Amino acid sequence: MIQDIDLKKLEKKAWKSTFQDGLYDIVFGVLLVSFGIIPIVRQIIGLWYIPILVLPAPLIFIFGKKFVTVPRIGIVKFGPKRRATHKMMVKIMVIVFIVTLILFLMTITKTFPGTLRTVFKGYAVPFSIGISAFIGLSFCARLMDFQRMYIYAILIGLGIPVAEVLYKTVGAPFYGLITFSIPGIFVLSYGIILFSRFMRKYPLPAKESELI
Amino acid sequence: MTVNKQNTKENQPAVNIDRLIHEPARFNILAHLYVVESADFLFLMRQTGLTRGNLSSHMSKLESAEYLEVVKEFVGKKPHTMLRLTDEGRMAFQDYRQSMKQVLENLP
Repeated sequence: MIQDIDLKKLEKKAWKSTFQDGLYDIVFGVLLVSFGIIPIVRQIIGLWYIPILVLPAPLIFIFGKKFVTVPRIGIVKFGPKRRATHKMMVKIMVIVFIVTLILFLMTITKTFPGTLRTVFKGYAVPFSIGISAFIGLSFCARLMDFQRMYIYAILIGLGIPVAEVLYKTVGAPFYGLITFSIPGIFVLSYGIILFSRFMRKYPLPAKESELI
Repeated sequence: MTVNKQNTKENQPAVNIDRLIHEPARFNILAHLYVVESADFLFLMRQTGLTRGNLSSHMSKLESAEYLEVVKEFVGKKPHTMLRLTDEGRMAFQDYRQSMKQVLENLP
């Protein structure tokens, strides 16, 4: 009976509906592919590879939400508890992204300070980066109740140390392509499928003035 | 003549059911608005699965009863109509759920 409705489940359903558009999957896919092609891009365009690595993912997310998702499913303001959770999740993702990116770039460019290099010998650095990325993203997955993000946490968290191992065996640029780009292509493809399904399921409605 | 206390209004929670909320579509609208702070028309339409006209019609009734309020805000440069429950609407929804629970519990 509808009167038996579970309000917590209803709120969660409303919350989850705001990220069923596939944009997070596309963003993680783009990030993974970008990580994988760094060695190739760096050789071609030098330091300009940094904006190429950093910019596409957040831009895709921001513009996707603004021009595709919100016009199709509308706007909602959740309660204070959910808003606080969302703010915390955004902060964590930004911090994890920045820290992981900095450490990742320092690792591949071998620019770690000497003292840190002696402290973190061998694979300790990439494993540390991987673990911090994994923990941060897993925490976000828990806060958002977004199951697929656990997979992306594993791909990024495990990918960094695996890339370091492969670098010593298969060398550049294959270590990046195998560790990140190939899984990234699968994630990106899945994101695009979700995105196109979302657009078919929720076509653009009539203009605001026609709705009421 | 003795009064049959069992038949007073207080002991018949079914009599106290808010018929405005009892309608499934309106209950659905109120339930969705209850769990968020506010939402626009489109979001409500998507979540409830109601058609544009249907939602508009039910919204008018709820607004007349002062259970929900319509607030026009600008989000960026675009006007947006946001809907939210009034305090009366929240209380009415809570009372309705409580009444329904009592009715169901009293069933043989």
